[in-house]
Amino acid sequence: MIDLLSFSLCLFAFNGFALAKPAHFKTVFTTRPSKLQSNLLLIVAWISILLSLLLCVVTQQGYGALLFCGFMGLSVLIITIFYNFIEKLIKPFSFLNMLLIGLSGLLLAVNSL
Amino acid sequence: MKDSFFRSMTWLHTWVGLLTCWIIYVIFFAGTASFFRDEINLWNQPAIHNVQAQTDRVAAQRQQIIKGFDYLNQHASNSPSWRITLPEERIPYLVYGYAKPKEPGQRRSQFVNTQLNPNTMKALPPFVESKGGNFFYRLHYQLYYLDAITGRWVVCFASFFMLLAIISGVVIHKRIFKDMFTFRRNKGTRSWLDAHNLSSVLALPFHLMITYTGIITLIFMLFPYPALTTYDKGMRGFFNDVTPSNNVTNNAQGSAELLPINTILDQVYTKWPSADITRVQVSKPNMAASTVTVLVSPAKALRDQSPRLLFSGATGELVAQTDDELSSSKALYESLNSMHTGRFATPLLRWLYVLGGIAGCVMIGSGCIVWAKRIRERNKGKASFGLQLVEALNLATIMGLPLATCAFFIANRLLSPTVAGRGEKEVTAFFLAWLVVAVMALLKRDRLQWRVMAAINALACLSVPAINALTTQGNIVSYLLNKQWALFIFDAVFLLFSILFLVQTEKLRTASSASKKTANKLADNKKRQEA
Repeated sequence: MIDLLSFSLCLFAFNGFALAKPAHFKTVFTTRPSKLQSNLLLIVAWISILLSLLLCVVTQQGYGALLFCGFMGLSVLIITIFYNFIEKLIKPFSFLNMLLIGLSGLLLAVNSL
Repeated sequence: MKDSFFRSMTWLHTWVGLLTCWIIYVIFFAGTASFFRDEINLWNQPAIHNVQAQTDRVAAQRQQIIKGFDYLNQHASNSPSWRITLPEERIPYLVYGYAKPKEPGQRRSQFVNTQLNPNTMKALPPFVESKGGNFFYRLHYQLYYLDAITGRWVVCFASFFMLLAIISGVVIHKRIFKDMFTFRRNKGTRSWLDAHNLSSVLALPFHLMITYTGIITLIFMLFPYPALTTYDKGMRGFFNDVTPSNNVTNNAQGSAELLPINTILDQVYTKWPSADITRVQVSKPNMAASTVTVLVSPAKALRDQSPRLLFSGATGELVAQTDDELSSSKALYESLNSMHTGRFATPLLRWLYVLGGIAGCVMIGSGCIVWAKRIRERNKGKASFGLQLVEALNLATIMGLPLATCAFFIANRLLSPTVAGRGEKEVTAFFLAWLVVAVMALLKRDRLQWRVMAAINALACLSVPAINALTTQGNIVSYLLNKQWALFIFDAVFLLFSILFLVQTEKLRTASSASKKTANKLADNKKRQEA
């Protein structure tokens, strides 16, 4: 479950990085992002990616950093596929991504109680 | 200054990449396959397909070792050495082996192995001779048909070139973050360049890590000078110094019965209560100078060498052991080595390594194609000898390796189990298939040839699970139903690649008919204008 949470956070972060770019933002929302929106997306993305790295390193010991690199590669691949081939599904995909973060975080919290 | 720097970096990236791209492609391809070395070994040996993984694997180890000692005492009490290899998560069977006395001129003793099902402790049917995953592993770092040391030097230089290409690639890629998620479809060379950039960027940390640590794995061959100047015996002296067990010399003469193994195991479990023992080796059993080495898994630690304890077989005294706390330099070397091999990685991380490996293959393959396409565009369709050679090597490497791999696995299933030198014949099938593609590529390298090769590859990939189903008792459906995941995924990967090659065949067909239509239209327009 912790791996799923780390990966979901990493995916969410790269989704944020992609949306912070005017071209990709326009693909999804048909308008260009304001400066504030871009900055907010970048801040959220950085927090999310750092959390993902932290979870990987804390839980996986030696191989954590490698796992995080793998998650980054997979996330970039998935985001690229969505933004270049299936643009229409970006919104439901982003929703699913957030749902995954919430559910895996919740289950993890319940298990640790 | 800035412009000339970028230009020189672009020149470096192009030529360093182009000179070694095909050999690097082979190294990446074989390395990616090697991450599943144990799974390939499993698929190549139908005798172990139905062996279920033990549920209480670690708890059963003590009994398996005791029974192994009884068995080997009974069957090979005078052998020069014994080896008990215990089941691991990815290796489901148990092996009791003993060495035959060396014959004159023989460098290493030949081992006689008995494989057992750890659940029933009954002997398994005899294994077929196969190179299995070890072939890809060796191909990855010392190539084939070359002397091992020469092969390693070639791989070393290729890795250096790869590292240079990666660093210069990062420098010349000005829009590395701007274009991070961009792939422009159906734009000819632009699309290939996007594929090259994307596959480079998405696994950039992996590419850097795997190339750098790859060089580190061979560092003592590349840079032996500190050891050569410090130790009288050169590299041997250095290795003896860092491996305490190498220095153990027991000069005791005569025979002496081996101490009950329980006494030694008690000491192992006192030191490491939850030890996951991977192997027990006995040297000179039943002699006064005998030694018993117990190797345990390092679990999640970034350590390539298994921790081990070495006991005297006659007295049970602990005579040597690996360091519990590694020195900083040793820890650095061990961690870089284990990062490269990913030997103790979890299944998830192993798959992520494979993803990085595939991204590496795409990066190298697309880079080769971009160069050839650009030069052809620049020469307005005219092909020089150099361009023809590059195009032929591209086709031979990119389409030849998958076919050769299929040939290797098909040979494993179709060769008779009794044929002499069976393992070597699998390898011959691999290189013969590759040679055929290379010859075809030298004769013709156009789009039609790529399409033909894609269709042949699709058929070959489909044949692997099909021939497996016809020649063994299992098939992809039964593997799924019986939850034999390693075998199921192996067959599924070949089916997936078969589909991908079919898609490629179809894409190349539509692309060639579209370009023909465009050419016809242009010719018509020209005629009309002339008229």
